[in-house]
Amino acid sequence: MTDYRPEELIVCRIAADVDESGVTVLGSFTPLAYAAYMLAKLTHAPNAAVVAFNAVGVPPVQLSLTGTEAALYSRAIAHWSFTTNTEVVHLGNRGLVECVSPAQIDGSGAFNLSVIGDYRTPKVRMPGGAGSPEVMQNYERIIVYFGKHDTRTLVDKVFFRTGERKPIADEARAAKGLLRGPIRIVTPLCVMVKDEDDRPFRIETLNPGHTVEEVVENTGFEVEVPADIGVTVTPTQEQITLLRERIDPYETMRFDFMGAQERKERLRELLQDEWDRALAAAPVA
Amino acid sequence: MSKIVELEALSTFVAPGETVGLGGAWMSNHPMAAVRQLIRDGIGDLHVVGSLSSIDVDLLIAAGLVRELTFSMVSLEAYGLAPHFRAAVQDGSLKINEVSGVAINVGYSAGARNLPFLPMRDLGGSQLPEMAPDFYANVTCPFSGDEFLAIRAFNPDVAILHVARADAAGNCQVDGPKSIDDEIARAARRVIVTAEEIVDTDVIVANASSTHIPGFLVDAVIEAPYGAHPTSLVPVYGFDAWTVMDYADVCAAGEAPAYLEQLRGESEAEYRARVLDDDRRTVLAHVAQDVQVLEAS
Repeated sequence: MTDYRPEELIVCRIAADVDESGVTVLGSFTPLAYAAYMLAKLTHAPNAAVVAFNAVGVPPVQLSLTGTEAALYSRAIAHWSFTTNTEVVHLGNRGLVECVSPAQIDGSGAFNLSVIGDYRTPKVRMPGGAGSPEVMQNYERIIVYFGKHDTRTLVDKVFFRTGERKPIADEARAAKGLLRGPIRIVTPLCVMVKDEDDRPFRIETLNPGHTVEEVVENTGFEVEVPADIGVTVTPTQEQITLLRERIDPYETMRFDFMGAQERKERLRELLQDEWDRALAAAPVA
Repeated sequence: MSKIVELEALSTFVAPGETVGLGGAWMSNHPMAAVRQLIRDGIGDLHVVGSLSSIDVDLLIAAGLVRELTFSMVSLEAYGLAPHFRAAVQDGSLKINEVSGVAINVGYSAGARNLPFLPMRDLGGSQLPEMAPDFYANVTCPFSGDEFLAIRAFNPDVAILHVARADAAGNCQVDGPKSIDDEIARAARRVIVTAEEIVDTDVIVANASSTHIPGFLVDAVIEAPYGAHPTSLVPVYGFDAWTVMDYADVCAAGEAPAYLEQLRGESEAEYRARVLDDDRRTVLAHVAQDVQVLEAS
């Protein structure tokens, strides 16, 4: 079996949902999701339409902290206003996949990117959801991913519903003119899916080496445990090679799996490295 | 008629207490030279409308210039929570209207069309509409009777935007990210543009498909090299993550007052001379142009 890291399993699971049937959108800087889209384009979905910021139809690029934006722009087939993008994709029913990685999610699928504590008098004011409420409500395939699976993140009830997909069931969505599709949660332990409004998330697959008990114990909401649960597909050697050697050689997608301090130190190292490389590569003035 | 003015004249176009729509998104093309000038001039009591905001809004809050903020996100992204935004909301000193990102775009589109609102589909179970009732309401479709969400129009008193180039008449072009600047320009009552460079109209005409804001919308044009720094103006310069990380560190160390004092005490040219030495200019140009596109093997 191919040797892989937990984040690589998650990236490959997200990539599996990216195909050529709709538009995948790069939102705020989330290297893990970016890596998944690049991987899909370099493997099973070369013609997947990917939109980044104002750049439409972007190529697969190598991830870095400071160069990704320019790389995506350089070979886009169109530069639209971001308003046009959201009219066409978010509001125009062309959204296929976009990932969300909130601070909290609960068993109804509601997620929180706004506050810890009370909304009006928060303990921690977080950044806000950007376009994620519209993504969650309108897109076909919703993937909520986390670097950690614990009861602080997968909670009984979120402090605030920044967004919530409603309705969830296919028929109810179709009746409202919305794209059909479930919510999936992808974590280091498992993949869970919710495709009906009044039914809990159920474990779809377990990641190798993890158990139902572990999932239930570390989830703050009720989880349905089907009789037979599959195993999350593990990365192939080709996928691992692409990720490590071409898409993300500087390991930016590990950030979601680091604590604050480690993350900061790693960011500093990476930035120094990018600075040195840029200076070394630039022609001497 | 030339609309070119100096950055120092910004205060003649923005009055204290006004609603200011800021361009840019995420870590791209925010009008940072103008933000620094607002701080130097101390133009305060502002209602700032951002959308996907970052260090632009955080600095204005740090300087005590923001009374009210309409936003969908304020973040330093990988470099942390926006410290002054966070603190000002937590201590109750900042009135906020949290409006989802696409709804802000819809609100600007309504404003650009001289409509009081535009409808969109609802946000499911999101609590944002109930928290910002001045911006979201329900509306019934006159044809089907179905319920939709109405988004109130945004018509800021003044828009402040940064572009790659403009001529003296205010015809503006960008080659990279432009966020929702087009719609902000159309919806605002006054439009101030800072431009990386001022060019002859011939240069604009030669590449007319890059003109995103025509001069008839624009009231003033200000030449401001590195006017988006430390955010990016691809493909001229990339995102200066090093400077944003320093900002996060300075704020975490409680040294933001000295940081602001330095900004207030120097001109924009002095800012460029201090922060943007030759190495930094080289690095930022390089990361905006040296792209690593991957071919399928």
